[in-house]
Amino acid sequence: MELQINGRRTQADAAPATPLLWVLRDQLNLTGTKFGCGIAACGACTVHVDGQAVRSCVTPVSAVQGKDIRTIESLGSAEHPHALQQAWIAEQVPQCGYCQSGMLMAAAALLARTPHPTDADIDAAMSNICRCGTYQRVRAAIHRAANSVSSGASNTANQSAVNSADAQRTGSAA
Amino acid sequence: MKRRTLLLSALGASGALLVGWGVAPPRSRLGKPDSMLPTQGSVGLNGWIKIGEDGAVVLAMPRSEMGQGVHTALAMLAAEELDIALDKVRLEQAGPDAMYGNVAAVLAFLPFHPKQTEEGQRSATVKTAQWLTAKVGRELGLIMTGGSSSVADAWEPVRLAAASARASLAQAAASQWNVPVTELVFKQGKISHASGKVGHFGEFATAAAKLNPGTVSPKARKDWTLIGSPAPRTDLWAKSSGSAIFGLDVRLPNMVFAAVRLCPMIGGSVQSVDSAATLAMPGVLKVIPLKPSHGASAGLAVVGKTTWHARQGAQALQVQWAQRPQGALDTREAMDHIQAQLAKEEGYTFHERGTVPTSGDTLSATYSAPYLGHATMEPMNCTAWLQDGKLSVWAPAQVPEAARKAAAKAAGLSVSKVDIHITILGGGFGRRLEVDYVVLAAQVAMALPGQPVQLTWSREEDSGNDFFRPMHVAQLEASHDGLGQVQSLQIKSAGDSISPRWMERVLPAFAGPFDAPDKTDSEGLFDLPYGFAHQKMAHVATKVGIPVGFWRSVGHSHNAFFSESFIDELAAKAGTNPLAFRRQWLQDAPRHLAVLNLAAEKAQWGKTLPEGQAQGIALHESFGSIVAQVARVSMEGGALRVHEVFCAIDCGTVVNPAIVAQQMEGSVVFALSAALWGGVDIVQGEVQQRNFHQHPVLGMAQAPQVHTYIVPSERTPAGVGEPGVPPLAPAVANAVFALNGQRLRSLPLKVA
Repeated sequence: MELQINGRRTQADAAPATPLLWVLRDQLNLTGTKFGCGIAACGACTVHVDGQAVRSCVTPVSAVQGKDIRTIESLGSAEHPHALQQAWIAEQVPQCGYCQSGMLMAAAALLARTPHPTDADIDAAMSNICRCGTYQRVRAAIHRAANSVSSGASNTANQSAVNSADAQRTGSAA
Repeated sequence: MKRRTLLLSALGASGALLVGWGVAPPRSRLGKPDSMLPTQGSVGLNGWIKIGEDGAVVLAMPRSEMGQGVHTALAMLAAEELDIALDKVRLEQAGPDAMYGNVAAVLAFLPFHPKQTEEGQRSATVKTAQWLTAKVGRELGLIMTGGSSSVADAWEPVRLAAASARASLAQAAASQWNVPVTELVFKQGKISHASGKVGHFGEFATAAAKLNPGTVSPKARKDWTLIGSPAPRTDLWAKSSGSAIFGLDVRLPNMVFAAVRLCPMIGGSVQSVDSAATLAMPGVLKVIPLKPSHGASAGLAVVGKTTWHARQGAQALQVQWAQRPQGALDTREAMDHIQAQLAKEEGYTFHERGTVPTSGDTLSATYSAPYLGHATMEPMNCTAWLQDGKLSVWAPAQVPEAARKAAAKAAGLSVSKVDIHITILGGGFGRRLEVDYVVLAAQVAMALPGQPVQLTWSREEDSGNDFFRPMHVAQLEASHDGLGQVQSLQIKSAGDSISPRWMERVLPAFAGPFDAPDKTDSEGLFDLPYGFAHQKMAHVATKVGIPVGFWRSVGHSHNAFFSESFIDELAAKAGTNPLAFRRQWLQDAPRHLAVLNLAAEKAQWGKTLPEGQAQGIALHESFGSIVAQVARVSMEGGALRVHEVFCAIDCGTVVNPAIVAQQMEGSVVFALSAALWGGVDIVQGEVQQRNFHQHPVLGMAQAPQVHTYIVPSERTPAGVGEPGVPPLAPAVANAVFALNGQRLRSLPLKVA
């Protein structure tokens, strides 16, 4: 069947009931999306389908045909990181990192829907599990990204987030 | 005390046997230029540092990155000595050489009271035992990431290796340019001289490798520019973009995928299996029986075109399972057994001072903690490939060499025919100190010659086939004069020992015929900092048989709950506030006092809180570090809520304070999940909690805000990954007592 993944038409040989997760990971080698529980309880497998955060481990591939599927691989690049990825780096969020793809995708869907989330909005939208306990930094990073994007000159704001991280890096390694 | 002497003599004898007194040279952990695996164009300067053709610095990395930041911290040590940017250090997995063994982790097994091992306080016996054990540890070459020991262990050898490399490079440049070595400047990977000469490390590496750097010392503390700074972790982008390669992300040409169906009853076996339905399913390629060894359960693997095919096939297997021959394991029976043994046995005495009086007013209490699972976010998995009689293994493991040997054994190959690649770990917490998942993957690969295969456990198999934190029960009793003056503290605990069981599974060659006393049983009880004149701490090692393993902060994780809650009880009995009571008994423990005071000050201990809120405090030393935490709690809709935790730590010299803060935050969340909801029930041999809906863990909405404060120190670096865990449960339980007068003596905490 044909799937629209990260802006590209992609052929996948999968039975209709196959969860999207395994098509992404094992057939298309898009391994940024993680397997954690298989029952939509942990959120490590979160991707976007038509802009909505969905848990790909319980989403049959037949249900997403013809829809716009986005994975962590398309969120941003090293050259053009997403505002959230910049914030993630500035706040030094990841520890083991395994849940972070899902966290970022859930956060990106949240910001697209609610550009200025309150703490309660974040609590409600971010039900992803992290065993390393990065929650308070995830929260700070979402607020940081929201502020950088909403300051009007998003490029400048994003740039400054990167700069401050760079400054820290340079300063500490000098 | 006699038994302790016996233990040490035995250790000494084995040490002498193994290394032949003084064979290992003092700088034996530096290695040789050819200790690192040769790669195209690179030149080894010693066992830790290699220089690339382009001048890049390659650091041998024997430790696994599981979130604790070790890849960043060890790279910082090398970058500091060589004056290069942190992101210019390239990591390469260290080989199997014993020089990469974790000596600090082995040393930590010695059952000494922390006071005995304080710098400047060590007796001849302690020094001898540590010296011998370090030698044994060096010979063992136990390459392991655990026990919060990585930075402590690498502190001397990595800095020394990088400083030696620098000295050799400098000598080579000085001799090539014919200038005095003292006039050379090292900056950002380049060596320069005022005469205008400049070159990168790669230009001098070949000459440097032939030089003897002579006596070299690492940089003086005052010259550090990187150590002690909150340098960003080097893995931030990889882990913010989905590009970090965990065990599950290994992809090999024509790889197939496998799922496991393990015996649901712990210790049980396969009686019969009907795989016809499975083999008829599209995408299913093969069904492979799995033999139990190295702690792995018996069961079957199903190989498929994708993990999904394999998972579907595994579910469709019709299996008759047989119960464990010695009878089904059961956690309720375990509790009965442990309590009975605790009442009956004297146990092994880990610490005794003074004479515990038999009369006077006493306060006593019994505490308990349940079995606990690890629940790493990345489920157990391993990838293996048998090619031309050689087996390659990719594993997210904390014990690479033990895993390699176990894979070889399971595959029936000599160890030299097996190589292992350590990936990034999606959480460890002690679970990946085991090798069961590697053994199973090796078996599957042997049945598929020439075909790479990735074996992934479902969450249900991961939860059901864990090595649990053991259930422990402790009786604590203090005698006092009725006015708050504690005269004695006596603690007897009981529960299964971890270390001997782990040795049997992971290092079978070193497992003994009888169990030596396991320090992890009593750590957090026998090693308290309080100055009570009479103390006796003993542990009754039971043999329930439910598989037990190392769980972040190990014995401290539950023992701190027992001891620090009971200290709070003593404070209440004395009518003193918990902070003042602790201060009173820490007069001979200035470091503990400083940590306690810092946490109390930052939390504004004793301040007026909103109605319905209360603070609790706890202090605990583990892995060489001291942590105090103040938790602020309330009841919200009938549930206990922890709003905020103020955390102070003295972990010696800090390499990266940002990582210390991360670890304190993570430890609080990890410990709070367990304190509020943790517990594994086993009925008729079967683990009842198999996925996150049955064993909930803390989420964003319940996570407290953690504030970390570090006590400045110039001592040797100590542990960071685990010491934040133990004080959390008692701090919260003590806050509950302050809130409503309920004293909670068992985990998880259930407020009535």
